[in-house]
Amino acid sequence: MTTIPEARTGADTGERRHLLLDPGMDLTLRPMRYPHFFDRFKDAIKNTWTVEEVDLHSDLPDLARLSPAERHLVSRLVAFFATGDTIVANNLVLNLYQHVNSPEGRLYLSRQLFEEAVHVQFYLNLLDTYVPDERERFEAFAAVENIPSIARKAEFCFRWIDSIFELRELRTREDRRAFLLNLICFAACIEGLFFYGAFAYVYFLRSRGVLHGLASGTNWVFRDESMHMAFAFDVVETVRAEEPDLFDADMERQVREMLAEAVECEVQFAEDLLEQGVSGMSLADMREYLQHVADRRLAVLGIEPMYGSRNPFAFMELQDVQELSNFFERRVSAYQVGVTGSVSFDDDF
Amino acid sequence: MTATREQAAAGQAVPEQRRHVMQVRKRSGDTEPVDVNKIVRAVERWVADLDEVDPLRVATKTISGLYDGATTAELDKLSIQTAAELIGEEPQYSKLAARLLAAFVDKEVRGQGVASFSQSIAYAHGLGLIGDATAAFVAGNARKLDDAVDPDGDLRFEYFGLRTVADRYLLRHPETRLVVETPQYWLLRVACGLSQTPGEAIDFYRLMSSLAYLPSSPTLFNSGTRHTQMSSCFLVDSPRDELDSIYERYHQVAKLSKFSGGIGISWSRVRGRGALIRGTNGRSNGIVPFLKTLDAGVAAVNQGGRRKGAACVYLEPWHPDVEEFLELRDNTGEESRRTHNLNLANWIPDEFMRRVEADEEWSLIDPSDAPELPDLFGEAFDEAYRAAEKKAVRTVRARDLYGRMMRTLAQTGNGWMTFKDASNRLSNQTGAPGNTIHLSNLCTEILEVNDDTETAVCNLGSINLGAHVTADGVDWEKLRATVRTAVVFLDRVIDINYYPSAQAAASNPRWRPVGLGLMGLQDAFFTLRLPFDSAPARELSTRVQEEIFLTALETSAGLAERFGPHPAYAETRAAKGELHPDLWGVEPAQTERWAALRATVAAHGLRNSLLVAIAPTATIASIAGCYECIEPQVSNLFKRETMSGEFLQINTYLVRELKSRGLWTPAVREQIKRAEGSVQGIAELPADVRDLFRTAWELPQRALIDLAAARAPFVDQSQSLNLFMSAPTIGKLSSMYLHAWKSGLKTTYYLRSRPATRIQQATVAVAPALKPVVAVSDAEALACSLENPESCEACQ
Repeated sequence: MTTIPEARTGADTGERRHLLLDPGMDLTLRPMRYPHFFDRFKDAIKNTWTVEEVDLHSDLPDLARLSPAERHLVSRLVAFFATGDTIVANNLVLNLYQHVNSPEGRLYLSRQLFEEAVHVQFYLNLLDTYVPDERERFEAFAAVENIPSIARKAEFCFRWIDSIFELRELRTREDRRAFLLNLICFAACIEGLFFYGAFAYVYFLRSRGVLHGLASGTNWVFRDESMHMAFAFDVVETVRAEEPDLFDADMERQVREMLAEAVECEVQFAEDLLEQGVSGMSLADMREYLQHVADRRLAVLGIEPMYGSRNPFAFMELQDVQELSNFFERRVSAYQVGVTGSVSFDDDF
Repeated sequence: MTATREQAAAGQAVPEQRRHVMQVRKRSGDTEPVDVNKIVRAVERWVADLDEVDPLRVATKTISGLYDGATTAELDKLSIQTAAELIGEEPQYSKLAARLLAAFVDKEVRGQGVASFSQSIAYAHGLGLIGDATAAFVAGNARKLDDAVDPDGDLRFEYFGLRTVADRYLLRHPETRLVVETPQYWLLRVACGLSQTPGEAIDFYRLMSSLAYLPSSPTLFNSGTRHTQMSSCFLVDSPRDELDSIYERYHQVAKLSKFSGGIGISWSRVRGRGALIRGTNGRSNGIVPFLKTLDAGVAAVNQGGRRKGAACVYLEPWHPDVEEFLELRDNTGEESRRTHNLNLANWIPDEFMRRVEADEEWSLIDPSDAPELPDLFGEAFDEAYRAAEKKAVRTVRARDLYGRMMRTLAQTGNGWMTFKDASNRLSNQTGAPGNTIHLSNLCTEILEVNDDTETAVCNLGSINLGAHVTADGVDWEKLRATVRTAVVFLDRVIDINYYPSAQAAASNPRWRPVGLGLMGLQDAFFTLRLPFDSAPARELSTRVQEEIFLTALETSAGLAERFGPHPAYAETRAAKGELHPDLWGVEPAQTERWAALRATVAAHGLRNSLLVAIAPTATIASIAGCYECIEPQVSNLFKRETMSGEFLQINTYLVRELKSRGLWTPAVREQIKRAEGSVQGIAELPADVRDLFRTAWELPQRALIDLAAARAPFVDQSQSLNLFMSAPTIGKLSSMYLHAWKSGLKTTYYLRSRPATRIQQATVAVAPALKPVVAVSDAEALACSLENPESCEACQ
């Protein structure tokens, strides 16, 4: 077991290169060691949105029109959303923040934490709007305890939060690998698979012309989650560049096992959601979609695909192309928050 | 860790619906096994002219999405959806999906015992949907009208267009919500609602059914019904600076909104924050709390269940609350000072722009101290403004305020730049003293005088230019014929229209303005292979606009000869012999026809004070299957989102080009998708082809402004001119809008920009990040991110 020496806080004096996962609370922003983290922080700020901008009112008549099977799907889905982002936020605070030893990286994580909080608020607002009955609402918020298909997913998450909860510092190679697995789990399995699965239901419903309020809020959540995932993989690749020996066949095996379990968790969730039969979304297609997403997560990590599945959902393809919507019908989500420069009259346009 | 790969694999082996012989429930309640061949046969009926469509593929894909025990109606819907999902691969599936949908709608209508157009009208009349006059007209001419229905009419629709029609335009049974008219019955009903003879109705129906011209949405919704509100736009003057007037405006806006109108309303007369209120000896809270109330009012009014109301508030930049006004759409800050449902526009006098250019101070003046300012323009305004400056509440640097406007545009797309002096100076309606244009409308293409007692009204329609162009050029005779029919029926609306407010009823019969626009300019350019920013493109667009305007004036003069000029004709510039190109000081190309027109106008006047306005056409362009109004394409591949769901749209001109070069392959498709609809990275395409297929984001915006300025002498109202910039900066925007002002444009519309980052693409292959990650710079992140500009519908 190799023990890695503690890095100095403050400026690096050059005796030993300071690594991202070295224990400590580095405070120095200049010279900036990971400017790409800082750029991600700035980009994230441009995507600021608030819950008040999402208009859920048009969803209520839609909810009344849904078939019982679709209503079941929606109620399970929002129950998952009720706690999903809180779990991610908890892991961020309890595990990620203390170990990513870069002030600019921590800036991004702080921003991500804010975004998770906005998501929590969005889903809170969603449930308050969708579920007017107070008892039902309380049940939805307690889904992790009383809905088995959600409890199973939550149990998976908690197990991974706990996996490094006792670790105060990443001193050994094993510590660091445990940390990386936790990070990959939250990026690839939880944000990257559980949420992506959930988004697919939302976009399926939208492709059928219902629940646009949910979809427009989800668009923004989805955009944020895409960034969170990208940041996490950015951290993984940075660590890989600094400490390539942390990555080996054993690690690869663990990542595959973790993703396989996540796929199974999500498939049993799908069995629950689709149990009454929803036209246009079969369980077989959903499974294929989840496997396809899992393969994509592996690909980002440079690992061979496990399933070789294709995306069966054409409506997900719609997520990849530019939107053009009509302002009578919905609000824009495309505008930017941070704009720079000053008045001048000879700029090119 | 519990799951292993083996278990994962075992999970796949769990028996699924797919393995059973799936059953569907028929409308009769019986069940039968799902039969691939039956679906294949249903598809094959519609593919005679669609050689790229594979019916078996649609059938098997449909079945894979089905569940055991689904109904046949669900099966039908799923097959439509399945076909629609293949459009991105092969555009012909759009036609197939449209035809399957038309068959579905047809079945629904026939299922209620309706077998002909006249039966559909009688049935809908019995349900209280159709007006008595139209019902009687149709009953009296049933045979002729029934025979006029074109059985092949629906074959012309693309899927997105027909889906929109089916979901939103066709009349529905009040209880069962089943549609009671087919798409062709709908267009014939619209024609009958505006016609006096069956011949006239049939001609107009044929024009619309050919998709060469469509009236705006309110006309398409309401013509022939019991509520014949067919106008798109209402321009409401600012409330007077008193409480009663403000609350009267809320009431008026609600009434106008209820019947599908889009609203522009000025707020320049209402005093700002801190101004004294004599009655109570208190201080005003300014305009923001009142606009907050307006915001809530607009959101509360549901336009016939079809959509929420929409309004745009106009404010002149000397108003003391202008800075708070510019923050109304921000998504941060105090919610009680935010109005998420209102659009915002600046109504800018030239004096402001001059001071911006000269870097001078700008005075903010309370309207209670200078109540005359909103009614003045040109030199009269300049003088009054300078005189009022000694009473200024405070002064700011003009450039600081201009920069603030640019920031609002970049951050929200809102805060449109519209120019008060050009709008008034270059208008036919401002020929007599006291007549002032106080604002534009919701989509910045309508410019009409109004005041406290008159609310300006405009009804609109748009020519599909694409339908008048072949590779050989423009079919000018066809274009003229379309304009003539269009103007007659736009004029007709004025007399049949239901006016939701007394102020609207007071204005429209006096001025009789109409707004004939065009759409599909980009289609014409693609057909003729003209890059959007080329000199021949600009020349063509100008000539087309001259032809439209000239023919419209000729038609209106002809109507004046028969029915007399509009009552306010004497107050117009035309009455003094000044036609719109004269105001611009340009020499039109068709000199002889203009000379002849002048003689007719001198003899008979004009039936309409205004004729041309280029509206955004969001919805009717989709119905017609063409690009929106005068806009370049936004992307070669994009999705449309509407209340009916999401739909993939692909540039069929590009697909044809790629196919002819053997480049329409999955790899190239993926490349286009990855590049978010751009083809600039496809090296196999020659440079001139890549030039032709540039998107709005890739074109110099100067070209869009110059094209608009070149056609402007032949647009007597204005144009909904969107501008596009993926990564706006204050410097670029301030240069661009100064150029727009100097070009003499009366108005601009949205600034379209793109989000800073985007959703991870879910269906393009992953690029593995194996090398240490290089952070994406701002510029790159912006360049690779697109999203969702929106556009207007009341104005279509």
